[in-house]
Amino acid sequence: MVTVQRSIEMLGIATVLITVEPEESAQARPPRALCPRGFVVGHSLGRPNDEALQKRIVMDSLELLLADPKPGEVITRDYT
Amino acid sequence: MEKPLELSRYCVPFTPFKRKLEESLVCLVSTAGVRAKSDTPFVVEGDNSFKRIEGSLSASDLAVDDSHYDHGCIDKDVNCVFPIDRLRSLAREGRIGGLTEAHFSMAFSQALRELRESTIPQLARAVSSARPDAVLLTGG
Repeated sequence: MVTVQRSIEMLGIATVLITVEPEESAQARPPRALCPRGFVVGHSLGRPNDEALQKRIVMDSLELLLADPKPGEVITRDYT
Repeated sequence: MEKPLELSRYCVPFTPFKRKLEESLVCLVSTAGVRAKSDTPFVVEGDNSFKRIEGSLSASDLAVDDSHYDHGCIDKDVNCVFPIDRLRSLAREGRIGGLTEAHFSMAFSQALRELRESTIPQLARAVSSARPDAVLLTGG
């Protein structure tokens, strides 16, 4: 996944990744990444039909585009 | 002729984001095996293709082809891994500018060399052609 992200970023497009495998993602050095702590593959955006939580995670990830750059790092946040 | 240099994994590509989110078109890109229900399924044992997902579709128009993670949540709500309805809702609220006319997904594959040399460069160009201001990527 990070390989895809890095390839898009290299074309001059700002990207942000939502990952639930932060160690694996960090090793691949993503331009920007958010890890919602405690979620697993299959519901990286949180519980089904929890619109408020899913929107919050989407906005938090997009706001990393505006934050101080930390290229290569995965930002972990709690949503539980 | 020597081969072109490849980016070291210690080097992080970084494109500064100069826009406002409220004016930005967002493109979704996933590796979760998402596709339009009307499209042909991914091969779950391994598939090196990527699929285009029309921006006008809703989560209820989408299916997921994968046999490597638990689908309990996705079967109820594809937004769990591909938040297309949530982005549209954020656009209605004016918090993002909108969605691109196309989104994209890959699926499970272990043919890493073909992914790296063929699929991913093609996918990145297709994403660029959709003219997004920002790209949101999701795994499973």
